[in-house]
Amino acid sequence: MSGLTNALSIATQGLMAQEEALQVATNNIANANTPGYSREVLDLEETPPVSQGALWFGTGVSADKVESIRDQMLELSIDETTQQQGNAQAQSTALQQVEALFSDPTQGIGSDLTAFFNSVNQLSTDPTSIPQRQSVLTAAGNLANDFHSTVAQVDTIQQNLDLNVTQSVNQINQLTTQIAALNGQIAPLQQLGQSAGTLEDQRDELIQQLSQLTSVQVIQTDQGETLATGNGTALVVGTQSFALTTAPNASGLQHIFAQGADITSTLTGGQLGGTLAVRDQSIPSLLSDLDGLASGLAANFNAAQKQGFDLNGNQGQNFFAPVAGAGAAGSFQVLATDPSAIAASSDGSAGSDGNLTNLLAVQNQPLASGETPLDDYSNLVFNVGNLSAQAQANASATQTSLQQLNNQLDSVSGVSIDEETANLIRYQNAYQAAARVISTVDSLTQDLFNITTTG
Amino acid sequence: MHVTNMMGTVLSAIWQAENNEQTALEQLSSGKRVNRPSDDPTAAAEDVLNLSQQAQVDQYTQNTSGLNGLFQTADSALASVIDSLNQAVSLGTQGATGTLSTSDRQALAASIQGVLSQVVQLANTSYQGSYIFGGTAVTSAPFSSGANGVTYNGTDGVNQATIADGMSIQTNVPGSQLFMQPGSDVIGSLEQLVTAVQSGDPTATANATTVLSNALSYLSSQRVFYGNTMSQLNDEQTTLGQESTDLKSEENTLVGVDMAQAATEVTQAQTDDQAVLAAAARVLPMTLLNYLAPGS
Repeated sequence: MSGLTNALSIATQGLMAQEEALQVATNNIANANTPGYSREVLDLEETPPVSQGALWFGTGVSADKVESIRDQMLELSIDETTQQQGNAQAQSTALQQVEALFSDPTQGIGSDLTAFFNSVNQLSTDPTSIPQRQSVLTAAGNLANDFHSTVAQVDTIQQNLDLNVTQSVNQINQLTTQIAALNGQIAPLQQLGQSAGTLEDQRDELIQQLSQLTSVQVIQTDQGETLATGNGTALVVGTQSFALTTAPNASGLQHIFAQGADITSTLTGGQLGGTLAVRDQSIPSLLSDLDGLASGLAANFNAAQKQGFDLNGNQGQNFFAPVAGAGAAGSFQVLATDPSAIAASSDGSAGSDGNLTNLLAVQNQPLASGETPLDDYSNLVFNVGNLSAQAQANASATQTSLQQLNNQLDSVSGVSIDEETANLIRYQNAYQAAARVISTVDSLTQDLFNITTTG
Repeated sequence: MHVTNMMGTVLSAIWQAENNEQTALEQLSSGKRVNRPSDDPTAAAEDVLNLSQQAQVDQYTQNTSGLNGLFQTADSALASVIDSLNQAVSLGTQGATGTLSTSDRQALAASIQGVLSQVVQLANTSYQGSYIFGGTAVTSAPFSSGANGVTYNGTDGVNQATIADGMSIQTNVPGSQLFMQPGSDVIGSLEQLVTAVQSGDPTATANATTVLSNALSYLSSQRVFYGNTMSQLNDEQTTLGQESTDLKSEENTLVGVDMAQAATEVTQAQTDDQAVLAAAARVLPMTLLNYLAPGS
């Protein structure tokens, strides 16, 4: 009789274990498309055997715990790659906007430069012609306009990036608040030796989102995970999160502060790092190149003007301004308004074109960069294109490795519908078998009762 | 590998295929391989220089055609002056015979005077509003006749025009050098001839005629400058035309695309895209569930 009772008890445990296993499989299937979800498995264990005389009998099965299948090394690699991808993607997006300003070589500063010197050159066929002198002023005006519009559009891109900085900081603050709250829920469970399962999944997912924005160091402590920026500024310690703040600097660009310290230049990873790199390095360097071109051209052309005489026989005056300083391209202007102001003459007589040689020589005269104006511009186009090409290549390469890492992680932690379906069938069969055991024990017990009743 | 979800792989394959298709279409429709600096930074930078050179060559070509008109005007003015001077030399030869009556001499002198004013008028020729024999003083007539004879109000300046990289040509000869060169003074010798004929001195008239004849050959030699320069301009125009063609073909090599190849690439990219989509449509819906009988 005790054998039958034991069998009944074991079969009941079996039923319960298969039910729990079914529940886990169902949950896996339900979460097959949940971002950050790690597949769970039910840890089944034999219960301790009992001895009857010299024999040891098994006593059935029990569910020990539900375990999430994860690979922390892979997750760390994914965080790191996500951070690189965010950085490259942000740079690539911003730089593609910048390079669009330089993508048509038949328009813009480069072609204006050539058109301007060509108009000066044309004057050599008829130095007193007012229409031809006027066309020099028009070409100079076009050049100034394109300097202005290029700088204005670069400025707009920079300001949009500045908005992105504020938005990214807000997102970082939201994420760190959520992570700190999850730490508060996870730590007590871990201290009890329980798996925090889905809570950990959620935290990993949030950390990955945070990595998209900036580089994050993750340190495991008994109070949960401590998070810091790439250079060690604390973001989350236990249940406490530290918000980043922004404040504009002298030039109106938002700088980022952690507990009062300006950490802008130390933020290099993620979208935020990429945005900052373009906002604070690529764009200022481009603007400074444009300034050098504008002011150098102005200085050299003004000097050439002064070597000659205008149509009225007066010494040539400054033609362009300003001749130095930051912001020269944005404020580049043509000082000459009268066609007669072009100092074509070398001897003061109206018909002389002797000084045109000097004016034209500016075309081949090196600027502070050591390059002629057009070579300088051509280099600038190369730099803009090269930066953008590098960022695009990085974005695409990190995207590919991120894809591969995610595939790897999926193969560890992801839910396979096929596998879960197969498991369902397995658990269903086991459940049916256990139920059959109960029905058999029931029938045997009935038989026993019948014997006792009739006997 | 334990493949759990192919969606990501399939999606990135679709994006890649669509990207390739878009790039191929862009190249075909723009006819350019480099549509933005990042497509090929080096080529984009060189394209800036190439286009500048093309624009410069166009400007040089425009300069040479503009100068052609100027030189033709100057050359034909000088040709007329030479005709007039030949006429004056034969008039002078008539005056030197010594058998003329006073009234005939006066008529002869008047004719030579007429040649003189014609020459002065030709020396004041202008082209597009600028006097072409006034040196660099082009806004007022360089030669004027007064009580003391003809005076030159121009300058000795010469202008240069650039017609190719590092190549400039002189665009004028000052009137003083052409018509009043000491020793070969065209206008002075005409004035001298008028005086000699009027005076009725056959020897002086013969001498003056010789001087004028020398001045005439001097002017003819000066005229060669214009002829030479015009043929130089013509040569240069041919060279510039060739240079322009070369630069365009260089530009095409730098940033252009082979149309036949681009069209093939578009077709290839479309085929690839369709293949990826077709494969995705077959693979994605497949799970074990498709093979299990309902209710089993």
